[in-house]
Amino acid sequence: MFETFLTEFSSDIYANFFDPRKRLFVGYLVCALIIALAWLVLLRKQKIQHAWRTCFDKQVWFSASSRADGLIFFINRLLFTFLAPALLAKLTIATFIFQWLQGTLGFRPLIQLADWQIAACFTLWLFILDDFARFYLHYLMHRWPVLWAFHKVHHSARTMTPLTVLRTHPVEGVLFSLRSSLVQGISIALFVFLFANQVDLVTVLGANALVFAFNVTGSNLRHSHIAIHYWRFLEYWLISPAQHQIHHSTAPRHFDKNFGATLAIWDRLFRCLHLSEPNTVLSFGISKTVIPDEHSLKQLYLQPFAEATNIIWQTLRKPRILSALTQRR
Amino acid sequence: MKLKTLALAVTFATSGMLASQAALADSHKVYADFPVTVKDYKGDKKHSVSYGGQMARHALHNSLKKLTGKGNGSANPELEAQMLAYFSGKDAGRTIIDPASKEGFKVKQTQIDELSKEKNLAGKTYKGAVNGWPGNMTGPEVIEFMIKKAAATNKGFDPLTGLDYTQLISKFAMGAVFYNQAVDNYLDEKLEADTKPNGKAYKEGTPYTGKEHVWDEAFGYFGVPAHVLTMDAKTAYAIAKGKKDAFKAADANNDGMIDLKTEMTFAHGYYAANADKGGKSDYLHTITEAFIDGRQLITAANGENLTAEQRETLKGFAKTIKTNWEKVIAEAAFKYAGSVYKDAIALQAAVESNADIEKLYRKYAKHWGELKGFAMALQTGGKDLGETAVQLNRLIGFSPVLLGNTQITGIDAEGNYQQANSVTLNEYALNMLKVQQLLKDKFNLEANNNDQLANLSELADKLGSADSAEND
Repeated sequence: MFETFLTEFSSDIYANFFDPRKRLFVGYLVCALIIALAWLVLLRKQKIQHAWRTCFDKQVWFSASSRADGLIFFINRLLFTFLAPALLAKLTIATFIFQWLQGTLGFRPLIQLADWQIAACFTLWLFILDDFARFYLHYLMHRWPVLWAFHKVHHSARTMTPLTVLRTHPVEGVLFSLRSSLVQGISIALFVFLFANQVDLVTVLGANALVFAFNVTGSNLRHSHIAIHYWRFLEYWLISPAQHQIHHSTAPRHFDKNFGATLAIWDRLFRCLHLSEPNTVLSFGISKTVIPDEHSLKQLYLQPFAEATNIIWQTLRKPRILSALTQRR
Repeated sequence: MKLKTLALAVTFATSGMLASQAALADSHKVYADFPVTVKDYKGDKKHSVSYGGQMARHALHNSLKKLTGKGNGSANPELEAQMLAYFSGKDAGRTIIDPASKEGFKVKQTQIDELSKEKNLAGKTYKGAVNGWPGNMTGPEVIEFMIKKAAATNKGFDPLTGLDYTQLISKFAMGAVFYNQAVDNYLDEKLEADTKPNGKAYKEGTPYTGKEHVWDEAFGYFGVPAHVLTMDAKTAYAIAKGKKDAFKAADANNDGMIDLKTEMTFAHGYYAANADKGGKSDYLHTITEAFIDGRQLITAANGENLTAEQRETLKGFAKTIKTNWEKVIAEAAFKYAGSVYKDAIALQAAVESNADIEKLYRKYAKHWGELKGFAMALQTGGKDLGETAVQLNRLIGFSPVLLGNTQITGIDAEGNYQQANSVTLNEYALNMLKVQQLLKDKFNLEANNNDQLANLSELADKLGSADSAEND
């Protein structure tokens, strides 16, 4: 029992760095480093040694915030090794939706297309739907106070390294997993329903080709202090690392901007896109005011529950709701 | 000095020979040539393996299947009598209609009696109630009922009900006779100490002991060539089909003929090979190996009663055989559920586009007959499948759903089918997916041929774990 658990846990940790389907795959980290160095040397005109020191700034990598990132990563992986089997599997969702589609539509409109066309459609569809789902859940995490209580954990990072991408409260982790299962389950069911056994995914090293492209082009720099920005026109389509850093900024004018993961179109649609500000030095966190113990495990893991409970309680206590509940008929 | 060398050489040579013989005995690859171990045997037989009766029943089943397809569309008492002769008759003179010799595939026997005399199928058919078929009948009653109906059809198929009797009779009989006899009789109560003990001849004067023969009879029902371990699933499959290019592999003794007793693939042996062909499962060899291991254990007891420990080991082999045999039948049902699914969808599409449906409907009914036969066969192993059986029977029904969305719901007092409104073809197709899911889950299938939802799980695997805490 303990042994299987340990094996699962260690292979899970391993997969986080060696599975090209994961953001922190070493290959992507190396790509990010190369891009960062190139940016600093070629555009910021730093000497290579200087650039190297900028990338591996001790004050960033060994800050209390970054140490908390590491701890959270381990604790969460431990928790999810337990939780994973209990989470709704995408195959269950896919099977259910497939049967539902066939049951309600009453027919199966099998569409004839070439293999490569179907694979291209499926890959693109999955990428866009997943990107939108990420955006929208993220948007809700900021808009709903109860969810914000948990998402704050991610935003409490004062310094950012690629590992900050996993600075996530477990409750949020469960929501992410559900989101991912839903997106994948729906997509698989829909495509198999329409194209039967012809459906395939275009992959590079086993990862969705488009996700791979996003990751090799420096996705890991979103959580870093290297403020790489794109041309202005491009920032209307793709979120640059600098734009995501704005999302983490403590300046009130930056609050609730740039929720997108890869595409900027969702932020445009929801009117919350903010282009990068190459000349502004950003500070990261929830607000400028530093809370004592803000990186303590108690603060990170338990405080969100206290806050969420409080919010729910306050809402219920509103006289209108309470009287509605206790009203005699 | 010379003498010493010679002595050494002789010693080495002898021990070498003994060792190789021992190795040969340990790695018995063929279900044959087991010596006589009966203590007071006085006859001149050198070997104790015997399962001619089982092979006669395989030939009866194959022949009956051929006959079910001979109807001319009107009442045909002659054909009915002929079919019954192969099902419940015991008379001499019945020819083997199938497997019969053809060019490049000569079969040694032409008469059932050459395999074994006075054998029938009815006497060995599952006697319990068959819940998967209307009318609350026993196994033999169901088959006789089907034979009567089949005799009046055109080539075994009744288009008004969608019932393909050729498939129904064959697939159900394989389970109700061969599977039932092997797993619910020979590999079950006949392995107990007080039934057919190993310390005595099976019957007075037989060259085999009680347990030896019990085990041989179970093996015979599986329906594989005795030397099946020396060939792959594709070859075993091709032998059953009577393919010319499989002849050499089948003709183990090189006498230019296929001996139906030891060189032919029949019934579930054929379906095990069918499932294994894709390379994902190995039922054919797993089952045969367990049979050979068991036979070696019995032979090694050398005509003494088996100890409790030996019987436990033997039961272990029996369990391997039973579990895998059940899976073979479930795999076949799984495969045909996939076919019925595809046929139903295609049929629905053809109806909507006013295309010609005759061929599609025939194919749909054939596959349904196979599915139904196997699903009914699964329930004849003497093991209560509980809810699984109920669900299977409900999802599949008593007939395929017809074009007017009707289905057979029962049989009246005169033996006529009653039909009632049912689900649409499309909803019925969905039932087939549920049948596949049910079989896959309950029987831990390995081959999963024709899996209509395979793409779902393959894609799900490909996309990797959804449990990601990546926070953007």
